[in-house]
Amino acid sequence: GEIKKETGFSHSQITRLYSRFTSLDKGENGTLSREDFQRIPELAINPLGDRIINAFFPEGEDQVNFRGFMRTLAHFRPIEDNEKSKDQNGPEPLNSRSNKLHFAFRLYDLDKDDKISRDELLQVLRMMVGVNISDEQLGSIADRTIQEADQDGDSAISFAEFVKVLEKVDVEQKMSIRFLH
Amino acid sequence: MQQERAELRCRSSSSGAASGQTPGADGGAETRVQSCSCILAWSLLSSVVQASRARVPQGSPAMPLLEDVVLENISWVGEEAQGNESSEHAFFSLDYQHVQVPFEITLWIMLASLAKIGFHLYNKLPSVVPESCLLIFVGLIMGGIIYGLNDKSPPVMDSDIFFLYLLPPIVLDAGYFMPSRPFFENIGTILLYAVVGTIWNVFGIGFSLYGICQVKAFHLQDVSLLHNLLFGSLIAAVDPVAVLAVFEEIHVNEKLHILVFGESLLNDAVTVVLYKLFRSFCEMPAIKSVDVFAGVGQFFVVGLGGVLVGLIFGMTAAFTTRFTKDIRVIEPLFVFLYSYLSYLTAEMFHLSGIVAIIACSMGMKRYVEANISLKSHTTVKYFMKMWSSVSDTLIFIFLGVSTIGENHEWNWPYICFTVIFCLVWRALGVLVLTFFVNRFHVNTITSKDQFIIAYGGLRGAICFSLVFLLPDFRRKKLFIAATTVVILFTVFIQGMTIRPLVDLLAVKRKRESAPTVGEQIHIRFLDHLLAGIEDISGHWGQYYWKDKLEYFNSKYLQKILLREYDQPKSSIVLLYEKLERKHAIELAEAGQLGHAPSHPSLLNNDRTVITDKKLEDAVNPDVLENIQEILARNLYRIRRTGPAYSRHTLPGDTEPGEHPKEILILRHKSLRVEVSGGDMTISRTEKDDSYSAQGDSSPQPKLCRSFTVGNAEKVREVERARSKSVCVIPPPQPRDMARGEKKETEKELTLEM
Repeated sequence: GEIKKETGFSHSQITRLYSRFTSLDKGENGTLSREDFQRIPELAINPLGDRIINAFFPEGEDQVNFRGFMRTLAHFRPIEDNEKSKDQNGPEPLNSRSNKLHFAFRLYDLDKDDKISRDELLQVLRMMVGVNISDEQLGSIADRTIQEADQDGDSAISFAEFVKVLEKVDVEQKMSIRFLH
Repeated sequence: MQQERAELRCRSSSSGAASGQTPGADGGAETRVQSCSCILAWSLLSSVVQASRARVPQGSPAMPLLEDVVLENISWVGEEAQGNESSEHAFFSLDYQHVQVPFEITLWIMLASLAKIGFHLYNKLPSVVPESCLLIFVGLIMGGIIYGLNDKSPPVMDSDIFFLYLLPPIVLDAGYFMPSRPFFENIGTILLYAVVGTIWNVFGIGFSLYGICQVKAFHLQDVSLLHNLLFGSLIAAVDPVAVLAVFEEIHVNEKLHILVFGESLLNDAVTVVLYKLFRSFCEMPAIKSVDVFAGVGQFFVVGLGGVLVGLIFGMTAAFTTRFTKDIRVIEPLFVFLYSYLSYLTAEMFHLSGIVAIIACSMGMKRYVEANISLKSHTTVKYFMKMWSSVSDTLIFIFLGVSTIGENHEWNWPYICFTVIFCLVWRALGVLVLTFFVNRFHVNTITSKDQFIIAYGGLRGAICFSLVFLLPDFRRKKLFIAATTVVILFTVFIQGMTIRPLVDLLAVKRKRESAPTVGEQIHIRFLDHLLAGIEDISGHWGQYYWKDKLEYFNSKYLQKILLREYDQPKSSIVLLYEKLERKHAIELAEAGQLGHAPSHPSLLNNDRTVITDKKLEDAVNPDVLENIQEILARNLYRIRRTGPAYSRHTLPGDTEPGEHPKEILILRHKSLRVEVSGGDMTISRTEKDDSYSAQGDSSPQPKLCRSFTVGNAEKVREVERARSKSVCVIPPPQPRDMARGEKKETEKELTLEM
């Protein structure tokens, strides 16, 4: 009930995701640990695999319960049309464009200073790019990225700048999974 | 006597040559004829080779004339040799008859292969015109030459040869390298398209053609409904050979590829049943409804029976390879023999041979690959690719050759309407079926995909052979003509235009300006993120059945079919050993520096230089382009977008196969350093920060350790279930190695699948 309200998933979706949760939870203690995630083979070769896994776990904890699982997944629910015009007084739904982008931003920004520094960008780049690129080249790519986005001249990308870079991109569609109804 | 042999020869050419230039004598005529045909074949071959090298395929009539002159001389020599035979032993004699059949077969295959080389010499051609078109074109030329030389129809492709010799290698290749994960994920959709879609097409085309026949103006009254349905049943089936050939070039995403391709393979069962059903109806005086039900039942028998036969042979093959440890050399042979046997057995029982061979190869692949040696494995791969490639080429050439001739009766309305109806009904069928599919499935098939599926429904050689197998009745030639036109239309027009259309449709959604570097990176970042989340949420799998199968597999099948559980010297273990060695060397040499550039000072200099020149670089378009190019080349591809199956390259050879290894190696490196480093502060950029972000990194390895040791049994089970060659996990090694290995094993398997 609460989960439904908070995440916006329908009942059948929650049931289905719950069965997925339990199938991942090999220890059968109602929570998932990092190893449970790492058991998923496709994640092992996803360059961002570890970061994605981390995003599920709240600060400093090693276990995530079903509610936390759903909360994270809720970011990727597609934005439905009837929600767009809902009242603006309530809390912003988890899958709003802004929250989606915030989620992605947090994956970059590990030290949580609300900025993507050059080093953080370099780390992500290095993860996403092959070994054939030298550090200098990578550095220049990172520099260019920052330079394109940076508007307040602090040589780092703040959240607002991040949003601006992606304003032409259809983030709602890119960051949505159509869960089974 | 020679006439009764297989029609694959230039026999007509030899008789043509004889009639063209008979010097008169009868005694030496035989040898002369044979030598003529030999020389003529070589001249044709050389003319085609020359033509393809000159990049404009056209027959060169000048060559044969020259050869004729030579011909005269040789025949004269031959005659002389003949004449002298009585007095002395001839030094030079020609016994063509002895080697005729293999010789000509080899010549044809040689022609096919040389034509293929010729196409690829000119780089741009295959991208504009698909290879199948070019091959048919070559066939047309050859047919034209043969026809022109002797005014008779060139040899028609024998249906038996096609079905027994040419088709199985292609289907085997397809089934063996079929990526089974996407296949089984989409099996419902594929089956729906294959079965329901084909039936829809058959009846739609049959009935509408019957309606056309009713129109008095076309003079087609005598083509009965049954005939039309029969024709519909053979023309409606999408052909795997043609589809493969064309989709090769256009590189659609994996899911689409598997949909069309899987459908083309599986609709064979439906085609076989319907074709035989209607054919037997044609011969029966009266049709009762019981017969119709029998037909429906027969469909299930054919399909499931084919699967059963295939699985039996597959399991037998796996079982056999369990014992081949001492005779590694003939291991590849078993793969081919069993697959071919399954095909023939299924055909013997009038089951679907294609389905059987696919079931066989998919079933046995996992176990056979675990049992046979690495070299045998490579041999199997290469031979399969080679044979299927040759078959493919030959089929298209023969298709071209066979179209020339007097087998056709041209009735334009019928033919035109056939083509139109094929397109229309396929499009309708795809639309309706996709509507149903999208209601029940998460990952929808977009309209662009639908278009490609509908447009990519190519007909090919199977239809052609089936139409020749029809019993002889009055209108058979009409059907042959219509089939030919449809095939040529689909292969040429649809084949050539599908790529531009795909590009056009894709471009429609693209943006006008090139994305900036930052956008590109972020977009790719988001894509990876999404792929990861999808994996976590179990978006892709139907895990229930998969788990059940895995359980069954590990409990029973593996015990019977796999030779041993610990097989040393697999590629995983080799990689592991290599990494260990490398790491040891690194540690010995440079302390904790592993991946960092060897000269830190140089790097620092470059960095400062770069930051100074940052502003200049900004406006420098060369640097920008360089960056874009670097990114385009080097960003890891997302799991979904790479084409998983390619005809001409072996899986794992292409670049995307290397990326996961790299990713794993990178992670492995960072993990190693983490474990051995402990509290060393390492400022390498590629260190995986997720571990450092949690503050104390040491709990991580501990957790892993508990994971491996505690659930050691389970891990080993999982590992065995998924690895193609299982290796014993050495317990004293650090636990992350085991984890990294396991992932690598699994991923390598799924990649190779």
